[in-house]
Amino acid sequence: MSALRFAWDEARGVARLLADTAQALLRARPPAAVVWAQAFDVGNRSVFFILVTLGFLGAILNFQTGFQAQRIFGDTSLIGAATLPILVRQLGPTLVGLMVAIRVGTGIAAEIGSMVVTEQVDALRMCGAGPVDYLVKPRVLAGLIAVPALWVIGTGAAWMAGLWVTHLAFQTNPATYVNLDLTRGADIAEGLFKAVVFGILIPVIAAHSGLQARGGSEGVGRATTQAVVSASLAVIVLDLLIGAVAFGLRGGAGA
Amino acid sequence: MIEFEDIHKAFGAQKVLDGVSLTVSQGRIVYIIGKSGAGKSVLVKHLVGLVRQDSGRIRFEGEDITHFTERDFFGLRRRCAMVFQHSTLFDSMTLVENVALPIRRHLGATQREALEQAREKLALVDMAALSDRLPAEVGDGLRKRVAIARALTLTPRYMVFDEPTTGLDPVNAVRVDRLIRDLSDRTGVTSVVVSHDLRSIFGVADRIVMLYQGKVLLDGTPAEFRTSHDPVVRQFVTGAVEGPMAL
Repeated sequence: MSALRFAWDEARGVARLLADTAQALLRARPPAAVVWAQAFDVGNRSVFFILVTLGFLGAILNFQTGFQAQRIFGDTSLIGAATLPILVRQLGPTLVGLMVAIRVGTGIAAEIGSMVVTEQVDALRMCGAGPVDYLVKPRVLAGLIAVPALWVIGTGAAWMAGLWVTHLAFQTNPATYVNLDLTRGADIAEGLFKAVVFGILIPVIAAHSGLQARGGSEGVGRATTQAVVSASLAVIVLDLLIGAVAFGLRGGAGA
Repeated sequence: MIEFEDIHKAFGAQKVLDGVSLTVSQGRIVYIIGKSGAGKSVLVKHLVGLVRQDSGRIRFEGEDITHFTERDFFGLRRRCAMVFQHSTLFDSMTLVENVALPIRRHLGATQREALEQAREKLALVDMAALSDRLPAEVGDGLRKRVAIARALTLTPRYMVFDEPTTGLDPVNAVRVDRLIRDLSDRTGVTSVVVSHDLRSIFGVADRIVMLYQGKVLLDGTPAEFRTSHDPVVRQFVTGAVEGPMAL
């Protein structure tokens, strides 16, 4: 019961911070240079991690799919066509979201948490610069730019790793593998929408955890852990919800 | 004038302030003292809206600020600045950028104008030569000096100092004491100072308020404190290890 209560309070706090951030964005945009620097930081911090993780997972997905396809149909020619929409709308945004939550969410929570416990956030407020304006807003815009970009890179890496592994394991012709016939505009729209949602929410959740930090370094540690747990859970739950809504909008599996 | 009336504040089950009332007259220097964890910093942060009371009333220059929103406090923080216990300079900004921040945000100056004014302020505290350094590249005492310069950029009428001499060498500590005294004597600035530093307390304060177990134990002049027979006050003033003051 206390876990449910905690989750409810956490969700309310994040929703309030999200609303404050939206209001702050409507009032004034942060300097472009600050946003680009943050976006570069988010992208730079995550791109290697995402290339490696999604590369390996793409290879595993394609190998297992090819293995089953060969066992059942004796044919692996449609592996590339079959795995691309799964990567684009499902695994790509979700795994990128999880990686960003781990790699970037922790950084945001630790940085803001340290500023809270050393009274730098209070000092910011005294200087007339609220933490939402100064700390959250640029990071949300940076996430909005960087996560969709990482979704493209990560999905591309996973699919290309699949090309390599199916060629090695099943001698699938790369020209046959590169088949876009089963990938629809709706798959791309769903994947992009998820990436945008995660790009906004992960910085907000991480910043919310950081702003809740109390005490000394122990409080910062707790905030960091909280950020990863909350952001990862949010990615997984929203992935399912958005996926279900998209499925309904498309009119089911046949569309 | 600043008036705190029956302020109560608890963090979870821990009651920190239990009905604190006090008044700070215009142009005076009031020191808030007490053992660590007595709620001194918590009390003064109420004044600038960094902590919100559970109950009680606060008036600032006759205006009831009890239910001020964060936006309402924006204007008040221009008139009442605060120097924090740690220097709280922003690590990613140079010293001059730190001082320029309140000029930009509160006065709406451009970055160039703000930097120019900030360099002038830094020159007043003999820090002009180091203005382009990052906070991590200078020592604690210098950081504190910059933090004070930053707080004074908007020429506030009220100042809150949270342990301003903690961590400073004796010479710099005396400089800070003199600055607090001068601000009051020359420009009529009202100061509320949280401190443990007895030399500073008895050298600068017009009035001393001692907090103990969430309440005001004694409110009086430095002379009244020296001659007090209250065992807790005696223990604080003499620094005796044995006494009624619990850990």
